[in-house]
Amino acid sequence: MRDATASKFEPAPPLVEASAPASDGPARAGRPVVEVSGVDKVYANGTIALQGADLTIRQGEFVSLLGPSGCGKSTLLRIMAGLGDVTRGSVKWWEQDYSVVGQKGRKLAFVFQNATLMPWARVRKNVRLPLDLAREAGPDTDAKIDSALEMVGLSNFGNAYPRELSGGMQMRASIARAMVTEPNLLLMDEPFGALDEMTRNKLNDDVLRLWQDKGWTVVFVTHSVYEAVYLSNRVVVMAARPGRIVDDVAIDAPYPRGADFRVSTEFAGYCRQVSKSLELASRQGREVRS
Amino acid sequence: MKRPLLENERFVQIAAPVFVGALFLLLWELVVRANDIPHYILPGPSAIAKAFVEDSAILFQGLLMTLKVTFLAFAIAVVLGTAASLLFVQSRWIEVSLFPYAVLMQVTPIVAIAPLIIIWVKDTTWALTVCAVIIAIFPIISNTTLGLRSVDPNLQAMFRMYRAGRWQQLIRLRIPSALPYFFGGMRISTGLALIGAVVAEFVAGTGGSKAGLAYLILQSGYNLKIPRMFAALGLITLTGIALFALMVWISDRVLRNWHESALKVEQ
Repeated sequence: MRDATASKFEPAPPLVEASAPASDGPARAGRPVVEVSGVDKVYANGTIALQGADLTIRQGEFVSLLGPSGCGKSTLLRIMAGLGDVTRGSVKWWEQDYSVVGQKGRKLAFVFQNATLMPWARVRKNVRLPLDLAREAGPDTDAKIDSALEMVGLSNFGNAYPRELSGGMQMRASIARAMVTEPNLLLMDEPFGALDEMTRNKLNDDVLRLWQDKGWTVVFVTHSVYEAVYLSNRVVVMAARPGRIVDDVAIDAPYPRGADFRVSTEFAGYCRQVSKSLELASRQGREVRS
Repeated sequence: MKRPLLENERFVQIAAPVFVGALFLLLWELVVRANDIPHYILPGPSAIAKAFVEDSAILFQGLLMTLKVTFLAFAIAVVLGTAASLLFVQSRWIEVSLFPYAVLMQVTPIVAIAPLIIIWVKDTTWALTVCAVIIAIFPIISNTTLGLRSVDPNLQAMFRMYRAGRWQQLIRLRIPSALPYFFGGMRISTGLALIGAVVAEFVAGTGGSKAGLAYLILQSGYNLKIPRMFAALGLITLTGIALFALMVWISDRVLRNWHESALKVEQ
């Protein structure tokens, strides 16, 4: 089993898209944005949340972390966000330590599993929060908030309170809040897990569109094979007990991807490949335990 | 379309308890009259109403005094209680060192320590106020501390991620999160401030121009002016209800836009 994981720790193969026409989306496989090397995370109660995690996210990539509950995908994402320490190993942001995060061109935003809005503040004020906290509010703040709200389609809801919005709209507000600082790295922790499928598909397309327009780097945690394959140009497959990375699948389908892609044989092929990898990992896990 | 009054929720909410109250008063009056109970044992509602009108001058003077102590004590309890909570959440050490003493203060019967306080504090008004503060402060401290700690951990993580300082976290996150708990504490605390003011006065037994409602009750008892005693008692009860309603109204005003407790259920 050790071998099976070790072989996956090689650097990600260069992606074909890098040389493809520009209409395909942002340039991929650029400089490293986050590098996680040899990271273990052990909780105080002895639970091994992550073991020997090695992962490099490059400029412009859309990477999904995919795996069952307890595989440490959220833990890995939080580590990439600088939330919480690692037990062993190191993490670098833009090839430096965490202190560079937040500087111009090195901004990071996080979208949580639930919308995590302040219930006492109107949507506008919620969206404005990162600017206030980072002391970046200025004369153009209102314009920034307006454009963030417009991009997520909430222009008419700036003065609403979060409880007046549906779950999907709250999630949009949460994305607007993440966007308002113009982040370079967007980390999303199962952001649409609680939504119905139609809303989820719509928001997936919105995120893809924004990713292409803005040149973001996105790391997206999900437990849905279909969502991971649809969105990403790289799917990182993880397994549980102990949480670890077991596979790294490149999804070489062109963007923009739409409804047609969802029903294509190419899509089905990638889903099969990723599912097989997930299944293999869980079987290996069982063999190790028994 | 006009609906029958009995289907109007608001009307029923007010009318039903009023009806029960009126029925109770009527029965009371009937029992007193039918059995010819003397008014120094149990006055009927009509005798109490008469005393209320005849003695309104001294009753309201007493009420004013009691209210003064109640409001002073409540204000001090809110300010000191909130300050204590803010101190507690600054560090775990401060909280574990001091919180047991807040509990100690809460469980000590005020009647037992009131005589001491009255000896120590010369001015009667302030002596009564101190007693009332001791009773009223605990719900503010415990509720507000709980509220300041009840912060959405993800929101807190987000604040950390954008490198918010302690002050920003307090103003933008902890205090708003604590508001519903704080108002819950205030509701309990107003009633306790009133009880504290009355109980302390019973023990202190002040007289003269500084007499509050409690002293009036004692005095009326000695003089067998039982209707007046009931009138004073009624006034204390009404004051308590009014204070509680005021607190509910204030918290609904402040929280109505976002907190579940202040939301009206939609049909």
